Amino acid sequence: MKNLIFFLSFLLLMAWQPAMAADVPTISKDELKSKLNTENLVILDVRSGRDWSSSEFKIQGAIRAAGADIGEWSKNYAKDQPLVLYCA
Amino acid sequence: MIHSLFLSLALGAGWLLSPESLVIAGNAAGQMGWMTLPVLAFITLLFTACGNLINSAQVTNTEIKEQLMLQSITGKIPATGFSLAAVIPLLVLAATALLVTSGYTFNEVFLYWFPNFGFSFLLLALLTILQFFSDKVIFRAQICFVSLAAGGLLMLSLYGIATTEIPFGLLFKQHGNFSSTSSATLLLLFVGSSGAGFSNGKQQPSLLLPAFGFILFFCWILVSLAAVSPERLTSSTIPYMTAARKIMGDPGRQIMGMVIISGTCAAITGLMLVCRKMLCDIAGITTEGLVSCKKLRWGFPPLIALISAILMATGLAGDELLEVILRGALILWLLRYALLCLAAIIHIKEHSQTFPLPGAVCTFILMAALFSLIFSNPHRIEMLGFLISMLGISGLLATIWFFISRNITAGKSENFQQMEKNL
Repeated sequence: MKNLIFFLSFLLLMAWQPAMAADVPTISKDELKSKLNTENLVILDVRSGRDWSSSEFKIQGAIRAAGADIGEWSKNYAKDQPLVLYCA
Repeated sequence: MIHSLFLSLALGAGWLLSPESLVIAGNAAGQMGWMTLPVLAFITLLFTACGNLINSAQVTNTEIKEQLMLQSITGKIPATGFSLAAVIPLLVLAATALLVTSGYTFNEVFLYWFPNFGFSFLLLALLTILQFFSDKVIFRAQICFVSLAAGGLLMLSLYGIATTEIPFGLLFKQHGNFSSTSSATLLLLFVGSSGAGFSNGKQQPSLLLPAFGFILFFCWILVSLAAVSPERLTSSTIPYMTAARKIMGDPGRQIMGMVIISGTCAAITGLMLVCRKMLCDIAGITTEGLVSCKKLRWGFPPLIALISAILMATGLAGDELLEVILRGALILWLLRYALLCLAAIIHIKEHSQTFPLPGAVCTFILMAALFSLIFSNPHRIEMLGFLISMLGISGLLATIWFFISRNITAGKSENFQQMEKNL
């Protein structure tokens, strides 16, 4: 019974994770393109290592920010600041 | 004869044509400007002299293999440990890094909808399957990869030379700074260049591969400097693509895409063959031929592919650490090469009573450059940790291997004694 509860909790947790991710608003490529010159828009390139260095496509003006250091760099931005994060 | 030379070149030139080498050359060109060209010429001569030294040590005794030469100065277990540390981490890490780069290149240049990691895994699977074919098929595939990569790079270079509006004489009037760190980094272009042993055991001219590398990179660096500003070349993580786009626009990107993917295939196949041959030599020497190379052939490629696949899947490619440890793996290969040169000097001194001064000077320069590569790296602590741990693990593996091989040879000789008694 204990194992079953653990298993069900695990499944619930797994199902909850995408639900949480679904709450994060996403932006399409064209939408971002139209907003590129907006004054307070900040684009953060969260790719790291070879994922970043091997890629030819880097948005001009994007700031590199390591996903693991979110606690550090998130302090630099106001809560109502629009931030666009891209990882691929 | 020509086929043998071509094959030897194709087997040794794998790493030379890898995307990593193109990054090293591009960044060095940005930092040193036209000064990169004489430095490249010097490194070509250095590797030729080192190759001559090793060849002449083998001439005094045609039976002596590289592994035996190394054993003569370090002893059996350290020599085996050094060889394992020089090739296995390099193969695994280079496969991981280069396949990821190829995946991105394929996705961004050829098929935008095709997932980059999907392509990396597909290429890894295909290159592993290739290892199960006969040597003839593998050699032909390698010649094909090298021809495509070298041909594409030469084509872009010649097109750039023919169409550039900047007179090349002007390049030599622009900045040219000597940087010892960048010069030492250029040594890494010639890593993995010991494919001569595959050509029916005949020694190949030691100038062959360095000269090939020199011609290729001389042309490429020259057009890169003419097309792209030194600042851009220095700061770019993909200087090869920046230069290709400037030289020929979108077709240039596509040609460079082909160079990157075929260069990756050439580097992994070349390193896989060098690694297999080295392990075969070690197994042959330590077990007196009782462990056949066939067993290594079937087990080794899937094992390497599995480790690389795990490293890619666990996100090592997205970690900055990969760059540090890949550099460390390249240094380990050069360290073994330097030790081999040292062994050749001692061997020549003992057998022909002459001291090979030019070879000794080159070995000294190689050793000094190695120290510079380690200690000028901003992540030197992590790198030293990697070097020490790899040497330690390889030493341990070598000890275990010797323990096992001693049992194998002892068991076999007991069987022989029993058979003799029975007869």
